[in-house]
Amino acid sequence: MENMENAIEIRDMTKYFKVHNEKMHTLKERILYFGRGQAEIHRVLNHINLDIKKGETVALIGTNGSGKSTLLKLMTKIIYPNEGTVETNGKLTSLLELGAGFHIEFSGRENIYFNASIFGLTRKEIDERIDEIIEFSELEDFIDQPIRTYSSGMYMRLAFSVAINVDADILLIDEILAVGDQHFQDKCYAKLRQLRDSGKTIVIVSHSLGVVQELCRRAIWIYHGDFKLDGAPSYVIEEYLKQIALDNQQRRARNKTLGMYKNQGVLYIDTPVESSIYRKAEKTKIFNGWMVTDSAMARLRVSLDGKELEGITRHRREDVYRAYYEQYAGFLDVDTLGWEKVIDLSQLDNGEHQLKAECMEPNGTVLYSMVNIFSVID
Amino acid sequence: MQVFKNIYEYRELLKTNIKKDIRGKYKGSFLGVLWSFLNPLLQVVVYWIVFPYLMGRAGTADNYLCYLVTGIIPWTFLTTVATLGTPCIKNNEGIIKKVYFPREVLPISQVLSSLINFFISCIIILIFCVGTGAGISYHLVFLPIIALVQAILNLGIVFILSSVCVYVQDVEFIVTFLLNMGFYGTPILYQLKMFEKAGMLVRLIQLNPMTTIIGAYRDIFLYHQWPDMIALGIVFLFSFLLMIVGYMLFKKLEKGFAEEL
Repeated sequence: MENMENAIEIRDMTKYFKVHNEKMHTLKERILYFGRGQAEIHRVLNHINLDIKKGETVALIGTNGSGKSTLLKLMTKIIYPNEGTVETNGKLTSLLELGAGFHIEFSGRENIYFNASIFGLTRKEIDERIDEIIEFSELEDFIDQPIRTYSSGMYMRLAFSVAINVDADILLIDEILAVGDQHFQDKCYAKLRQLRDSGKTIVIVSHSLGVVQELCRRAIWIYHGDFKLDGAPSYVIEEYLKQIALDNQQRRARNKTLGMYKNQGVLYIDTPVESSIYRKAEKTKIFNGWMVTDSAMARLRVSLDGKELEGITRHRREDVYRAYYEQYAGFLDVDTLGWEKVIDLSQLDNGEHQLKAECMEPNGTVLYSMVNIFSVID
Repeated sequence: MQVFKNIYEYRELLKTNIKKDIRGKYKGSFLGVLWSFLNPLLQVVVYWIVFPYLMGRAGTADNYLCYLVTGIIPWTFLTTVATLGTPCIKNNEGIIKKVYFPREVLPISQVLSSLINFFISCIIILIFCVGTGAGISYHLVFLPIIALVQAILNLGIVFILSSVCVYVQDVEFIVTFLLNMGFYGTPILYQLKMFEKAGMLVRLIQLNPMTTIIGAYRDIFLYHQWPDMIALGIVFLFSFLLMIVGYMLFKKLEKGFAEEL
């Protein structure tokens, strides 16, 4: 370590993977093909320099395949750089893959011991924490049962509770906050905030830019294996979204000239849900959903029993935007992603009706469509 | 020094691993842990019945039963470490790809659990010593030292085998053959003096470190005399060197474990 204030120091670090056409595993193959380089070198990270200070909460952002998860794995020392160095200072826990060392035949309590010992805790330290871990996981009633009887949600809760209670100086988190129900997620965020405020170093990889903005005080953007930008989350995210929009437009333009490009679209009907039943007494009902597309010309066509509906209003859908920005950035207007239409149920006959939504090009090509059936009764 | 600090920090993992190695192996079998003692014992019985016919009385030593037990049980210590230790990295692929921990914990716990097994097996040797009339003497105080030398040798071997096995899976099969060869290349069933006229072959058997180690065990258990200290000292130096080299190789190859598996 050059600077003892740093929790993580990365110096001129390059990582590549050798991609063998076929994995040469047997001795025969090794000897026969020795020196004959069949391997393709796939560069994942290029000359990265990075300092993360103690107590910082940092997000790594980038598109899929940009190398940010690899960078996190390098920090945990699961894999090692080909050039340069990655040094860490302090006890480190990774929440990359939860439940390492779990044995399904053993009870939840025993597994806490297995799992925590892999994180480098001694028996005494685990004894001190076990009540806290069990309480956090909310599995008091099941803790002495073998974990093969657990649901996947319970399994993840247990694993997460161990990892987050290890009391490490550095926490590395990779997109795992999709654990359990809303209540448990909120609890995890609260715990992370508490850890952040108690001076732990936290590095998060996330696609959820909302989380990044809320939790982190610094964002680092990795772009195709290169270090691109470093700074306040709102600024970095803004630049990042601009770049994605640019990339998407360029890719489309390139593919269009090659004649390979096909416009894409996705849509969804939120209400009515399939096979729902409405009473006429409810009088009016709001039918709604959303649509994203990268075609400038495509329009939304909603029809009821084959008849197109007029007067559909569009509104803002932040959640949809967040889910699709990576793929469609540059083509999306967050204010018009949602659609809705008020339907007068009394105008409809009793029985089954069909609501169809289509994303349609001017020439009549349907990019995406969805149909939901609902019934109206007295 | 970093080595010892690492291991010390992860001592709980080492302990749970040793427990899993000892108990887990025979989990579900009727006789459980007893098998680790029964196996070499049954082997002894077979050799005891067959070999006197093959070699004649001249070839077998006095108190042949005790001679076999004092050879086969230490040899079993080596074979368990080598056969179970070689795939120990591969078999833990799941956790190696997921979390960081000092990888050397795996081979070390394998050697330690086998060492514990060996010490328990020594009770069987003692029972045979008393039962066959060979008796017991104060020379047994040397047992931990010989066991330590063998443990260091085993550790060196398993460092090399387990790390190379990740890259070249054939190692597992080569080990099976080498152990088979080593079994006949060590005076376990026969006495070294039978090979006196074999020239080259006898030199090779004498160079085998296991020859010295098993000889030392027999000195203290069977013959009630101090082992050949110089020979044992040389084997210790060799084992220690092998362990250092093995550890360095392991550390070098360790960096590719998660990618190769």
